[in-house]
Amino acid sequence: MTLTIPGGAPASTIPGLSVAGIGEMVSSADPDHTLVCYGLGSCVALSAWDPRVRAAALAHFMLPSGSSSGPPVKFVDEGFERLLDAFRVIGGSPGRAEFKAAGGASMLAVMASTLDIGRRNIQAVETRLAGAGLRMTASDLGGSAGRTVQLAVGTGRLLIKSVSGTKAL
Amino acid sequence: MTLTTGSPVGQTILATIFLNAMARAGDALAGMSGHDIVVRAAEVRMRRANEVVDDCGGPDAVVAGVYVGITGPLHGHALMLLSPDGARRFAALLLEGVLEPGEALPGPDGELALGPLEASALQELGNVTISACLNELGTYFEEPVHPTVPQAIVELAGAILDAVLADLIAEVDQVLSARTSFTIGGESIDGTILILPDAPSLERLAEAVASQHR
Repeated sequence: MTLTIPGGAPASTIPGLSVAGIGEMVSSADPDHTLVCYGLGSCVALSAWDPRVRAAALAHFMLPSGSSSGPPVKFVDEGFERLLDAFRVIGGSPGRAEFKAAGGASMLAVMASTLDIGRRNIQAVETRLAGAGLRMTASDLGGSAGRTVQLAVGTGRLLIKSVSGTKAL
Repeated sequence: MTLTTGSPVGQTILATIFLNAMARAGDALAGMSGHDIVVRAAEVRMRRANEVVDDCGGPDAVVAGVYVGITGPLHGHALMLLSPDGARRFAALLLEGVLEPGEALPGPDGELALGPLEASALQELGNVTISACLNELGTYFEEPVHPTVPQAIVELAGAILDAVLADLIAEVDQVLSARTSFTIGGESIDGTILILPDAPSLERLAEAVASQHR
């Protein structure tokens, strides 16, 4: 079963691939499916994967805090609980889940020196996880390179692609 | 009449602004390089950011970009995006007079990265082209629109837009975009110029354009 969150990403045209656009999240309990966030700059992708039921959810957070009627997980502060809720809906348990994160880059020097949104997004995700008593099991955060992440629902493997290469968490 | 940058009249005015800007940019680049360079802008319009990324090959496509911040009466960001190959060819043309005959360009750190001279040439290309657009936009205000120091990057197209849109807090999903074609001799290199004003600046621009065309 693949769920696309209401107000979230449209169903991918590629079978088995669900894309979370900026501020959106996707989830699935189909082990053949892959969840994707393309082109993360200062945004942070947070994945949750339950190894027992092989259910996964992936959020594409844009900013650390705020409120809007826009996409469901645009802001970490209000979107974090929505991600956990979506994960529970497909049978995932946050308590036994593996959480992995990627992104939060500072790509543009001028903006990095003033706004530092990438670093603030990372802090917000870490703070929310810690506040919920949850642990990040792996991460590829910060730096100056953009990333695309792919979460394999069947294995929980998070593949991270950048201009300089590919790595797996 | 309320004129917006997205209305047919507004789009025509924006297209005229870009046409004038590209003519100036071509002259400046020709002066810099010693080559005849013609710059044309087509399809000037307000578009959704994701449409622009799709035009560049999708969010996962690697592009060469020049980022310039915008300050003064308008605030926001500007980008020029080219294919990495197009950027290298352009840089080589601009650097012809800088290198000794037979001298090779210093190599980049990675296969897709730009070498230091290539990056510098690309920054200058972006600076001249984007500044020409900002100068034209500045004619609608009583003070000039200023660019920040340019930065050249080779990155995922989606990641570049992501970084810029995050600063605009995504209240602005509309991007002023122009497909741009640089013709040097018989060779053509395609690119895209994006101007991303913040929400108050977009309003100011629409008001300024409207007041001069009433």
